[in-house]
Amino acid sequence: MMDESNPYLPYIVNIEDARYETPGDRAIKTFRVTFADDKVWDTWSHSPGNCAMVGRLGVGEAMFCISSSPTEEGYLRFSIMKMGKVTRALHELETGDTMTVRGPLGNSFPMEEWEGKNIVTVGGGIGQAPLRPVINYVRANRDKYGELQVIYGSRTSEDLCFQDELGEFMTESGTSCHLSVDVEEEKWPHFVGFVPNLLMEVSPSPENAIAVTCGPPIMIKFVTQNLLKLGFAPEQIYTTLEERMKCGIGKCGRCNVGHLYVCKDGPVFSYETLKKIPEAFA
Amino acid sequence: MVDEKKLQEKARETLIRDDVRRLIGWKRGTYGFEAAPAVVTDASQAEQLIFDATCVANPASFIAIEEKKPVPRGAEPDTRKVAVMVKGCDSRAVVQQLVEKAYAREDVVVLGIPCLGVVDRRKAEKLFGQTGAQVSAKVDKEKVALDIGGDVKTVDRSNILMDKCLRCRYPNPLVSDFLLGEEVEKWADDDFADVDEFEKMSPEDKWKHWDEQFSKCIRCYSCRNVCPMCYCVECVVSKLRPQWTRRSTDISENTVYHVQRAWHLAGRCIECMECQRVCPVDIPIMTLNRKMTRDVKEMFEYEPGVDVEAEPMLACYNPQDPEEYIM
Amino acid sequence: MGDYKFARDKLADVLTSLKEYQVFAPAAVGDVLRFKEVTDPANVSLDYDNTTVPPKELMFPQTETLFKYRLGSTEVEPSVPDASKKRMVFGIRPCDAHAYSIVDNLYGWDFADPYYQKRREGTTLVGLACAEPCANCFCPSVGGGPASEKGLDALMFDLGDAYYVNSLTDKGEEFAKAAGLEAAGDADAKAAAKQGEDALKKVARSIDTAGIPEKLPSLYDHPFWEQFSDRCLGCGICTFLCPTCHCFDIQDEAEAFDARRARMWDTCMFSEYSLHTSGHNPRPTRKERTRNRISHKYSYFPEKFDVIACVGCGRCINHCPVNIDILDILDKSKQAEAKEAKTA
Repeated sequence: MMDESNPYLPYIVNIEDARYETPGDRAIKTFRVTFADDKVWDTWSHSPGNCAMVGRLGVGEAMFCISSSPTEEGYLRFSIMKMGKVTRALHELETGDTMTVRGPLGNSFPMEEWEGKNIVTVGGGIGQAPLRPVINYVRANRDKYGELQVIYGSRTSEDLCFQDELGEFMTESGTSCHLSVDVEEEKWPHFVGFVPNLLMEVSPSPENAIAVTCGPPIMIKFVTQNLLKLGFAPEQIYTTLEERMKCGIGKCGRCNVGHLYVCKDGPVFSYETLKKIPEAFA
Repeated sequence: MVDEKKLQEKARETLIRDDVRRLIGWKRGTYGFEAAPAVVTDASQAEQLIFDATCVANPASFIAIEEKKPVPRGAEPDTRKVAVMVKGCDSRAVVQQLVEKAYAREDVVVLGIPCLGVVDRRKAEKLFGQTGAQVSAKVDKEKVALDIGGDVKTVDRSNILMDKCLRCRYPNPLVSDFLLGEEVEKWADDDFADVDEFEKMSPEDKWKHWDEQFSKCIRCYSCRNVCPMCYCVECVVSKLRPQWTRRSTDISENTVYHVQRAWHLAGRCIECMECQRVCPVDIPIMTLNRKMTRDVKEMFEYEPGVDVEAEPMLACYNPQDPEEYIM
Repeated sequence: MGDYKFARDKLADVLTSLKEYQVFAPAAVGDVLRFKEVTDPANVSLDYDNTTVPPKELMFPQTETLFKYRLGSTEVEPSVPDASKKRMVFGIRPCDAHAYSIVDNLYGWDFADPYYQKRREGTTLVGLACAEPCANCFCPSVGGGPASEKGLDALMFDLGDAYYVNSLTDKGEEFAKAAGLEAAGDADAKAAAKQGEDALKKVARSIDTAGIPEKLPSLYDHPFWEQFSDRCLGCGICTFLCPTCHCFDIQDEAEAFDARRARMWDTCMFSEYSLHTSGHNPRPTRKERTRNRISHKYSYFPEKFDVIACVGCGRCINHCPVNIDILDILDKSKQAEAKEAKTA
C-alpha cells in the first residue's frame, strides 16, 4: 500500500518493457513496470479495476487503470493513449527509464461476488484496458467462473489493443472472443459495425451472468441500453467511469459525478448505482 | 432620466420579436447598492428590468462570453439576435467588439441609455455601511439620492459616483438602435490626472506599490471574466499546452498575469472599470489600463471603442508610428 | 472550562505574551483585511466584520508545495508541516472556525491528508464572537451562530472595555495560561451571553435547509439554474472566498534543476476544472458548473459527510460581481418542481 503517512508521495518504478499496442497520433503504448524498491511488493496488493496515478517527475501525473491482473505477478502494466501533456511525456519513455506510480487507488470489480457466474466483457478501443485484468483474472481462476465472453471492437483493426492475447481467447476452452471494426476493411473476417451492435449480434444470455463494459462514454451509454434490452438487470451491469483527476484520493474535488468521487468511490460502478446519478452520463 | 415603464415596454417589444433570443439589462439586486445584470429570454420577464444609478454592471460583458452547447446533429444553430442595454461607457464595449468582429452588427440589437453616472458600491458602503436593503438611486447634475430601505440619503456626486463617471466623456451611447431617454449633456473631461499622480512616484515606489497590490491577488480571474474585451475562448493564462503562466500564486506569476492582461488590452480597453469594480481584494487594476490608454492616445492618436468603422489599433500599423513604447 | 478576561488596551500585551505560538490575526492590507502572521501587535485590530479572504488559507494555503525534487533524480523531499510547532489563529470568526470542522471530514476520510491535518493539529483557534452580524450573514440557518463555539478552543466577546474569554478546550486553557489572563466575573459571563443572544436576533437572512439536500438531485436538468448561470461570469470569487470550498489542482513546476509538485486552489466554476484531455467537458457551460457548486455544498457533501458544506458567512453573496445570491438560489430550488433526469 501507499505511504500511509503521505498519500501524495509516489513510488519510483522501472520500465521493464515498453511497446506500442496501436499506431498513430493517438497511439497506445503499454508499459510493464516494477518497483525500484523491491520491498514495495511485500505490501502491494491490487485487484482488477484498481487504478494508479502514473507520472513523470517534472511533468505531472494522471490516472490510469492497472491493466494487469494481480495474477500476473512481479510487474504492473499500464496501457496509455497519447493524448495530453502527461501522456505525451510518458510516451517518450522507453525500457530502462523510470516513472512514478501512486496507488493502488479506487475500488475494484467484486470478483469474489461474481464467482460461479458467466462473465461478459464489452470493450471499445482503449476501454479494453480496465477489462483486461478482469479477463486475465478469470482465466487464471478458471474453475471459479463460468463462461467468459470477450466482446471487443475498435475503429479499425489497427486500433485493437492486446492483439497478441486476443487469438488465445478464441481457442481457449470456456472463453470466446468476438471482434468488430467500425468500418469495412479488406480481409477482416469478423463483425463490421459499432460495439453496441456487435453486442446484439453476439446476444449473450443474462442468465447467471455479469456484463462489464468500458469504452467511450457514448459507447457505454448504448451498450448499457442494449444490455438492458437483452434482459440484464441493472445490478448485473458494471462499468468504469473516467473523469479528470488530480489527487486520486477523494480530496481535490474534480472527479465527482453527483455525490460520488470517481477516484475513490469508483471507478467501478454498477448500473444500479449510476442510474440514479444523471451526471455519470454527462 | 429613463422612464422605467418605457424601458420595460421597449424590452417587451424587443423580446417578442422573432429574431431576438435574449436581452441583457439590469434588475434590482437581492440587496445593496448594486443592481444585478439580468439576462432575460421571455417578454414576461421584462417587468423585472430597471435602470437607475445602481446599474453599474456592463451588460456588453455578457454578449461574447455566452457558452453554447454543440448543436445536435441535424439541428439548426440559433442565429437570433441578442439585445443589450448599454450606458455610454458600456456602448464603447459594443463598438470595440464590433471593430474586432467578435460578432456582426446585425447580431445585436442595442438599446442605448443616456446616463448621468452610477454609484460606486465601495464609496456608498464607506458612507452608509453595508445594507441588506435593495437600494435605488436617482442622479442629477449635482446630487445622488439613494433610497436605502425607505431612508433617503442625498450625496454630492463626487462623493459617491464611480471615478469613471466623474471624468466621463461619453455619457450618451456611441452605438444604438433605440435610444431610451433623452441625450444628456457632457459634464466633464478627462485630463488623466490620476495617471499624472501615479507617474510622480519613483520607480522604486511604483515597484513597491505593485508588489503589494499583486501579492494580494487570488487569481480568481474575475477581472478577466467581467472584462468585455476579454472574450478569448481559451485565455493564455489558462492554457496548459504550452503553459505560459503557472497556476501557483506568488508575486512573479501574479505579476505576469496582470501585466500580460494589461498589454493584451492595449488599444482595446474601453475604461468601463468593471475589472476594478469586481476585484474582491481591491487591486487598482485601472491604473495600468489608464496609463496604457493615455500612451495609446498620445503616441498613436487612437481611442478604442468610439468608431464602429475604425480598424483595431494593432491592425493599423504605420511606419511613422512612434517607438517609445518599446521598453 | 474557564472564564477569563483582559482589558481592551491590553490586547497588544496579550499578543506579545504568546511567544511560544506563531500567531495569525486580522491585519489590514490596504483596504482589505486578511489573516497575517503577527509581527507587530500594534497592527492587529479586532474591530472588523470579517476578512475578505477566509482564514482557510492558514490550513490550506492557496499554493502549497507537496514535495521537492531535483530534475533527473528520483529522490523526493516531502514538505509536510511540523505539527509540533504551535500556531494560533487569533480573532477568527465563529463561521470560519465552523468551516474547519466541516472541511476536516474531507481531509480525514479514508486517506488522511497530512498537510492539512498537521496544520490543524498544531493550531489553537481563538474565536471572536460577532456582536453585529453583516447584512448577508445566515450562520444560524446552517448550524452556526454569531457566538457559535463549533471548532473553537476559546471564544472571545468584545464587551467594550474588555474582552471576555471563554476557554472551551485544553488548548484554550493553555492559551489563557500563556496569555496570563485574569479570571472573569459572573457579570462578564452574563454580558457575553446577552451579547450572543442579541446578535442572534440581528441575523437578518435565513434559509430553512430542510429537504434541500434530498431535493437538489431531482433538479439536475431543471431550467431554473439558468436564471443564475446566465449572468455568471465563471470567475473564482464565490469558491476561492468560500471557507468550506476545498478543491485544488496539482502541478509540477520545474526550473532548470530544482522542481516541485505543488497544489493550488482550484474551482469548479472554471471550465478547465472538469475538461477532459479529449476535449469533452462533462460540465460544458456555467449552468452545469453553477449547479455543481450549489449541489456540492447542499447535497453531495451532506450525502457523504452528513453536514452541509456552508457556514452562512455570506462571502459569496457579498463579493459576487453579478449578484448571484446563494440564498436566492436555494429559495428558488425549493419552489422548483422536481423532474426525473435522464440517464442511459
